[in-house]
Amino acid sequence: MTSRPAVAAIAVIAAVAAAVWWYTSRSDEAEIRRRLDRLAAEINTGVTEGLATTVRAATIGTYFTDDVTIDLGPGTAPLHGRETVVGMAARLQPRTSVFRLKFVDITPKVSSDRASATVSLTAEITNTSVSTGEQSLDAREFALVMAHAGGVWLISHVAAVETIK
Amino acid sequence: MNFRRLVFGANPRRTSVRILVLATAAFVTLRWILMPVRAEGISMLPTFESGRLHFVNRIAYTFAPPARGDIVAIRLAGPHVLYIKRVVALPGERVRIVEGQVQINGIGLDEPYVHNRRPWDTEEVQLSPRQYFVAGDNRGMSAADHDFGKVDAERIIGKVVF
Repeated sequence: MTSRPAVAAIAVIAAVAAAVWWYTSRSDEAEIRRRLDRLAAEINTGVTEGLATTVRAATIGTYFTDDVTIDLGPGTAPLHGRETVVGMAARLQPRTSVFRLKFVDITPKVSSDRASATVSLTAEITNTSVSTGEQSLDAREFALVMAHAGGVWLISHVAAVETIK
Repeated sequence: MNFRRLVFGANPRRTSVRILVLATAAFVTLRWILMPVRAEGISMLPTFESGRLHFVNRIAYTFAPPARGDIVAIRLAGPHVLYIKRVVALPGERVRIVEGQVQINGIGLDEPYVHNRRPWDTEEVQLSPRQYFVAGDNRGMSAADHDFGKVDAERIIGKVVF
């Protein structure tokens, strides 16, 4: 038979755990993680042709600011502006259908005024060969700057980080 | 012996404590001391095959820095995705690769773990006091497809032990 103090202790622990979960799940950091996970899910959605491709690309564009800059490192020219990102997303959709993107180790640091945040993350890409079905894994580290605009976190700058230089 | 006694033992409270201690010890060991990692890719062939499970000793460099020849785990943004590479050159050294042969301060490095070698060529680089030069063992692949070069010491999170 369970004693009354034990039941009370379990209830207190459960209440504290629920409060901690409620508080952390509503934080800006948690919202940024959710937002980036949703972006990865949008990119992974398999759309390869027609109007759906355009709609998907436009949806991906809503995750970025109008003046976003994406710098993928040496050998590639930086992309400037949301429209460029949308156009590129539309062109790359058929190719993205063979890979799965996942963001791991997402570490946001929100500014004291909650207007911006820096985020470090690792993008893990699982590529499936069309001919053999064989899977290969690639990973790259990125540093992001996000802006809090209209209650939504938008990506304003993306830079590839050279882990091994 | 009834089923209840078989599962919980003669003293269920003591059994619970033992389970809790064992679970805590396993969690601490696997997270902060001996971290399991799965190698993916071919850059460490033939030493490590893709898909094999290995362990990273996260306290290996608490009292001594990485040594030449050590296989180390290098973090990207966090500890969930890692590079596994071999330390080729140490802080302060000059490194260059000529026709696939690694040269440290102008002297060729003996690398018995390298079985295939393509004629990679790199410019000489000077390592800072906080940098190591790392590469995979598979030098038979194209240099463009192989991640190798300078890495900051704080990114090395441990030694791959087995």
